[in-house]
Formats: sequence, structure tokens, C-alpha cells
Amino acid sequence: MAAAQTVGCSLRLLTVLFLAALAARGADYFVTIAGLGGLPEYDKQFSDWAAQLDRQFRENGPAAHVMTLSGSAATKREIQRAFEQLAAEIQTGDSFSLLLIGHGTFDGTDYKMNLPGPDITAAELAALLNRIRAERQLVVNMTSCSGASLSALARKNRIVIVATKSGNEKNATVFPRYWIDALRDPAADTDKSGSVSALEAFEYTEHKTAAYFESQKLLATEHPLFTDTGTADAVRDPKPENGQGLLAGSFLVLHPEADESKTVAPGKQKLIARKEDLEAKIDRLKYEKAAIPPDEYKQQLTALLLELARTQAEIDQ
Amino acid sequence: MRSRFLLSLLLAFSAAGARAGALDTCRELQHHGKLAAAQTCFAGLLTSPDPFVRAEAYFGLGRFDEANEEFRTAYRNQPKSAIVKAEWGQLYLEHHQPGDAATLFEEAIEADQNYAPAYLGMARVFAVSYDKRAKDLAYEALKRDPKLAAADELLAYLALEDNDSTAATEEARKALATSNEALDGMAVLASIDWLNEKPQSEWMDRILKVNPAYGEAYATGAHFFEINRRYQQAISYYRKALELNDHLWSARSQLGVNLMRLGLDTEAKQQLELCYAAHFRDAETVNSLRLLDTLKDYETFKTGTTELVLNRKEAALLRPYIEPELQRDVAVYERKYKMKLPGPVRLEVFPNHQDFVVRTLGLPGQGGLLGVTFGLVVAMDSPSARSPGEFNWASTVRHELSHVYVLTATHHLVPRWFTEGLAVHEEGAASPDWGDRLTPDVIEALRKKQLLPVLELDRGFVHPEYPAQVLVSYYEAGKICDFIVEKWGDDAILGIIRSYADRKTTAEAIEENLHEPVAAFDKDFTAWLNRKTGDTVSHFYEWKRGMQQAYADLKNGKKDDAAREANAVHGYYRDYVGGDSNYELTANLFLARGDSAGAANVLEQYRDAGGTNVETLKKLAHLETDLGHPKQAQVTLQKLNYVYPEDAETHRMFGKLLLTTGDANGAIREAEAVLALKPGDVAESHYELAKAYQAANRRAEAKDQVIAALEVAPNFKAAQQLLLQLSD
Repeated sequence: MAAAQTVGCSLRLLTVLFLAALAARGADYFVTIAGLGGLPEYDKQFSDWAAQLDRQFRENGPAAHVMTLSGSAATKREIQRAFEQLAAEIQTGDSFSLLLIGHGTFDGTDYKMNLPGPDITAAELAALLNRIRAERQLVVNMTSCSGASLSALARKNRIVIVATKSGNEKNATVFPRYWIDALRDPAADTDKSGSVSALEAFEYTEHKTAAYFESQKLLATEHPLFTDTGTADAVRDPKPENGQGLLAGSFLVLHPEADESKTVAPGKQKLIARKEDLEAKIDRLKYEKAAIPPDEYKQQLTALLLELARTQAEIDQ
Repeated sequence: MRSRFLLSLLLAFSAAGARAGALDTCRELQHHGKLAAAQTCFAGLLTSPDPFVRAEAYFGLGRFDEANEEFRTAYRNQPKSAIVKAEWGQLYLEHHQPGDAATLFEEAIEADQNYAPAYLGMARVFAVSYDKRAKDLAYEALKRDPKLAAADELLAYLALEDNDSTAATEEARKALATSNEALDGMAVLASIDWLNEKPQSEWMDRILKVNPAYGEAYATGAHFFEINRRYQQAISYYRKALELNDHLWSARSQLGVNLMRLGLDTEAKQQLELCYAAHFRDAETVNSLRLLDTLKDYETFKTGTTELVLNRKEAALLRPYIEPELQRDVAVYERKYKMKLPGPVRLEVFPNHQDFVVRTLGLPGQGGLLGVTFGLVVAMDSPSARSPGEFNWASTVRHELSHVYVLTATHHLVPRWFTEGLAVHEEGAASPDWGDRLTPDVIEALRKKQLLPVLELDRGFVHPEYPAQVLVSYYEAGKICDFIVEKWGDDAILGIIRSYADRKTTAEAIEENLHEPVAAFDKDFTAWLNRKTGDTVSHFYEWKRGMQQAYADLKNGKKDDAAREANAVHGYYRDYVGGDSNYELTANLFLARGDSAGAANVLEQYRDAGGTNVETLKKLAHLETDLGHPKQAQVTLQKLNYVYPEDAETHRMFGKLLLTTGDANGAIREAEAVLALKPGDVAESHYELAKAYQAANRRAEAKDQVIAALEVAPNFKAAQQLLLQLSD
């Protein structure tokens, strides 16, 4: 738990910086692809999940660009066509998210996502993604065998999340169910910022997936992995100690609440600045926790939190 | 002491076989307790040109690996010899490999269908696992060789396992009629004396005259004390066995296992380690040592009357629930049984089912056990060891605690059926939805009239004749106690307990306290049970067909037809709360019509009839909350805590509900449970605990928790507001 709190702490610094730069932030693009089910129940399940994601992403407001391909529309050709269009449209300052739902396969060499007609390989997906200019990208491959796609998809400034640890975990996954829940359940917003980052969504989903298998007393058939360092050295528990999670902590997949700095009355800008100063002080104190006697730490933390609470109350008046 | 007992039987029959005279001489020496001379004798045969003789010599010396190699050669040389196969099988049986032994005994029977010792070998294989086929095969052996005293001895042993001392005596005497040195027959007779508190048995005197080192006899007695739950005496008799022969490793292992059962872990470990060092490494020894090694992961919580042993990783979650329940049970039983225990009751809770299984190894009726009682020590599965909803831990604690009191009150002289039956009855007395249900297996047994007369009911627990008989026996025994209480009252139960304490038989206990002969009691009970269950039993197949049709209709979208079918048969079998129940189907149909109140009403019936499906109960709790029925929701959430305490959502929901109903302490308990489950949403969980502390006017603790919440999420607005309130 202490480690998780430290993650939150380090990410907060980035988040603060990120929020400060929100005004200059580009548009958000979300593309969801639901592949071939093979059986009617899977076809329906995959399409339903894709539709739910579509709805969730649209909660980001009218500025969010949401595209969903499922059923007969999710062919390799259609995907390529969509990416051609997006490659022309998306700018470097934009953020881009690709979410893959369905069955994957791995033949020992190539990962393929099952689609109506020809399947698409991980290398082909990577090539399409590389044409997107957005500097900050998120890929969530929720298919079976998706672990095998990781090395092809990993790249600097791209967060890659896969539902399985390798190409040998071939069972249909439960990961998408919990990823969708992460965008709906307030519990996923662990720092109570009103938004859900890719890191929060991953941690929520990983936790719920593991709990699912544990509660059913089943051997887990999927072990989600995460990397945002540009390498394929993915982990299950992103944290500062393993250098993972910094990019994902500031990559928001759901941020329906308006940016406070832009909505408060002009007279309260000083309060906003004070608030950000207090947040930074709290983060610094938390970093120094191990070096401070517990009582002193508690005293200082309480004072800062109390002041932050009072400042927030003034902003909200 | 089963394995040594079996070995001696082997010696008896194999000596009669066509063997080298020298081998017989060695065995004679062994049989008469001249152990050093026997060892020298066996050692002298190691150079025999006959691999079979060498195999037996190594076997006699306890050198299993070399014996195995020699048997392999002998087997190759004499591929059709039933004797070689059966003797090799005996080696495997002695080496705790009953499966391999069975294969060789089967081969021996195939080679010579009239070779009686092979049937006896198979009988012993089955006897290890309390399989009733042991008796059948012993009879098969006797059919082929009526003078096979060892078969009579085994039958005596099996009869005494069923607590049938009359049959045991008869069989043992048959063995003695064939061989007046039938040591194990005499050991069974001595055991009967010991079980009846006659420590100076003439049979032991006779045994010692034949074999002054025959510790196996005491080990046999210890085994019977053990299966009658008289563990202290079992330990004492294993010690006596080792005094006569300190190389009886199976006795030493059992001594260790029983010491462990009573919580005497230090000496248990010493004894088991001695066995391991001597290369005696059967499953019980090795697994018990492993379990003892894991005890460092456990923490003991003591009160005046209880000791609760929990794995550290789940202690914070479970202690606030189990400890009060345990204390409540102690208080209930002190009042009910009018007695105090001689010391604190110790409850060990194992999150790893295999660790719990180690506690039950070697005991009869293991299948499906949830808990087991050894004197003042109770071991049970943790809820986390089982699938959600699979068992009710509180009901299990109530059941096992009943054993603790009844065993103590009767000085462990109670028959299995009564203590189990009373424990099941006590579950139902605590809460009508606890205790054993009328399952399809029980209905089938009732339909086939397979319930046993009360005097034979122990057999259903120890040597079941059909797969479900142990569970059916629990049900029957529980119903017998229900019947006694209904007709004669609780005092009759106390009277029966006193009668058993006074060493009375079941027939005497029934006649003394219920004032009718046991045959009349059986008749009355059967009539009573038929009145209770007759309608269900006679309509069972109609109900089954109706439910199948209802589910088929539902699958085909014919909801009205499904509702009609389900409704038509529901009354026949209201006790059914297993998968695809009538309740769940009907509730889903109500929900499909948008009738939440109707669905909740049906699911409350399901809950109160004993339903434990976690998802169904959670659905009910949500319905009740949404409908504004907080009292019913509390009942449902409490039940969820009993069947699946590892669910954070349940605790969170329960905590919120308790907070709204003014039960701040309950809300604190639930919020602490959420935190103990290491939730993903740490900030929210600390905040909820802070709110509960605030409601309980524990402001300092509330402030600590809200600070903990804000440390994780400094901008958590609700927590900020609470901090401001608490800082006023």
C-alpha cells in the first residue's frame, strides 16, 4: 500500500504539471475495435463491450473524438482506412487511445487479432499506430494471447497494456469487463481527482481481474501487463521502483469534470495558485516521509491537508 | 497403528505359504518378539540365491528400496506367481502406496483366483480408506481359505471400527480358534477392554506372553481411541506401544499427529522429525511436518474462554467476526449444557484447504468435512479456503463447538451418530437456515429407504456403502436429535449425554431417557420423518421434471409458461436452494416484469430456506436497499458475511447501511473489514471508516482516518469537508 501511495505521489507531481498545461492540451481520440467472436455469444459480448466503451469515452465531452469498429465493420481494410483518416487528422499535441476487444491468437511467431476476413498482426497494428502523430498514445489490447503483441507495440511515449502475460494465455479474457467498470466505478478514481488516468484504470482492472479468479477459486488464465517506458519489459505493478507508471498517471482516459483553473471566477485565481502550491508541498512531504519522525510527519501533513481543505472550500464558495 | 497391524497379518499367512524354511524361522522369531535375533536371521538370508527370499529378507529388515528391487527380479523370474505378486503388493502397502499395492494384488488374483492372501491384501488396501469393500474382500479370502486367521482378525478390526464390539469379539475369537497366537485378534479384544475403561486386559497379558515386544497391540488400541475422538488416550496408548518397541515408526508418527491435534506442537514436531529422520515418510508425517512449519504464519488471539488461531494475512479481516461468534457459542453452550469447559477452546482456521486436510488425515468420513474437533481443539477451513457461498463459517463453528461440549461432557464416550446429530441440530437451533438441508441425495436415500436404524447409524459415517451415505447420515442424525427435542425436549438430550457419560449404550440411553425401546424409537422416528418429508419424496421426480421444463421454457423465451411450471411444483420441494433453484428462476421472472418487490420477496424466502449463492444474495441486498427495506437488507448482508466475508462490496454496503441505522460500531467493523481486504480504492475506504468513527463519537480516530484518506487523495472533497468538520 505504501508503494501505491508513493506512485500516486510521484504521479501527482506530473499531474499538477499536466493540469497546468491543460489549456494547451490537444484533442482526445479514442478508437475501439471489437473483433470476430466466432460464436454468437462472443460476437454479442464483444460488440456490447465496444458499445459501452464508446458511451464512456463520449462522456469526455463533445471535444472527444470517438470511433468504434465492431461486427462486420471491424475488417482489416476498414481499420486501415480509419487509420489513414486519423493519421491525417491527429496532431502531435493530441492524445490517442486504441482499445482492442476480441480473440487473439499466437502461433509462436506472430500475434494476430481475429477479424472478419483477414486477421491483423501486431506488427501491422504497430505500423498503423506509428503513422499517428500524437505524441502520447495508449494501446489497451484486451484480447486473448495479447501478451504476444507487447514487444511489437511498445514504443516511447506509448502506454501499452495487455490482458495476458504471453501468447500462451489463450482463454477468452475477463479483462475488458473490468476495464469498462474502471470507467464507470468511482472507486477507480483513487486520487479522487474527478478523472481516471490510464494508470488508475489499469490498477483497478488488474485488481478486479485477479479478485475474480481468486473469488471463483480458479487458476488465473490471464495476467495483465503494463509498460509505459517504451520497452517491452512490462510489469504487473507499475511503481516508481520499477520506473513504470509515470506517463500513464497523467494520461486521462476519463475526465468529465471541467478544468477548475478555467472555470473559477477570475478573483479566485490566487486561490488556485495557493492550492497548487499546497499540493506540491504535500507531495514533497510525502516523498520525505521515510526521513521524518512519524509524529512530526503526521503533524505537518495534517496542517497542510487542513489548509488545502480550507482553500478548496473557499474556491468552491 | 494400522500398518504394523497389517504387517503382522501378512506374517501369519505368508508363513503358511510354500517358502524357504529359513524365512519362516526369521518370521517366527519376529512373531515372538525376538527382534534382534529376527534381524540377524533376515540378514543371513540376504545372500540367498533366490531373489524372492532376498526380497522378503530385505522387507523383514525394513529396507524397502532393496526389497523392491529383489521383488522386481523375483517377479521377472516368476511372472505367473500369485505369491510373489501378493508379497510385493504387501511391500507397497507397508510403504504407504496403496494404489500400487492394489495393482499387484489384482494381478495376484488374476494369476490365481483361489489365492486367499491376495484377496486379504486387497481387503487391507480398502481398509486403509475405510472403504466398505474391505469387509467383502476379507470374506472372499475366507471363502478360499477358511483357516486364514488374519482375515478374521481384519474383520474383527473392521467391526470394531463400526463400534460393533459384539461382531468384533466374535470375529476375533474365530481367529483365535484357528491360531491361538493370533496377536491382532487379541489386540482387538484388548482394545474392547480398553475402550470400556478396563486398562488391565487379560488379552494384553496373553499377547505379551507370545510377544513381549508387541507394541502393535497398544497401537491398535490407540487407533480405536483415535477414531472415537479420545485423543488423550490415543496418545497414551501410542506411548505404551513405543515403550515396548521404539522402532514402531507408524505409532510414533501417529503420536506426533495426535499431539499436534491437541495443540502440543513442540513435542509433535519432535516425534514427527524422528520419523522423518528414520525415513518413515508417509503422507501424514510429511504433511504434518509441513503444516507445523507454516504455523509461524499464524497468530493466536486469546480471551478467557477462547483461543483463536488465524493466519496473519487474514487475521485483521476475520478476527472481528469469528471471535465474538466463538464467545457467543461458548456462552450459549455453557447455558444449554449446564457446564464449563476445563480450559479455553482453541479454534484453528486454515486459509489453505490442504493444511486443514492434514488435520483430518487418517480419520474416517473425511469427504466434505468443513471442521474437525479434537477435544478442546477445533480445526476448520477458513472461508477463503472455499468458493464463495460454499459454506457458512459461523454455522460450522456452532457445529464444532457442540462437539467440544458433548465430547467433554461424555468423557469422549459418545457415539459418532449422536455427537454429529446433535451438532447438526444445534446449527438449526441457532438459525433455521443453518444446518443440513433436504438435498436430492437425501431424498434419494429416503426414497430407497436407505436410512439406518439408530443402533447402526455409526456405520454410515465410518464405512459408507454408497457415495452420499456420510452426508445422508449427518442429515439423519440431525433429524433424530430434532425429533428428540421436539417430542421430549432439550432435557432429554441432556439426559442422553449423561447416560453416555455413564458408559451406557445407545439402546440404554434411549430407553432411560425417552422411555421406549429402541425399536419403537426407530419406528416413531421413521414415521415422524416421513410426515416431514413424505410429500417432497413422493413428488420429487414431478418437481424435477417441472423445474427442467420451467428452465427450458425460460430459455425459449416463454416466460409465462416458465412461471406457471415453476409455480406448479414449488410447494413440493421448498428446501431446494441449490443451483437452478425455483426461487432464483421466479425472482428473475419478477425482475423481468419490473417487479422488484416481488423478486425481493421470493429471494428472501430463498435466503431463509438456506440459500447461499453469493451473487443471488448480493442481488437481494441491492433490491432491499433500493426498496428501502433496511432491516431485511441487514439480514441478507449478515448472511453474506457468514458465507463470503472476503467480499469488499458487501462490507462497504453493510457499513453504509449500519451507519444509516445508527449502528456506528457495526459500521466501524465493516469499514475495517474493507480496509483489511486491501481495496483498490484506499482513500474511499479510509474515508468510510472515518465517517463510522465520527458517528461513534471517536473523533481522534476519525481524524486519523480522514488524514489517511487525504494522504492518498489530497483533493478528495468529501474527505476535506469531513476534516474541516472534525477540526472545528
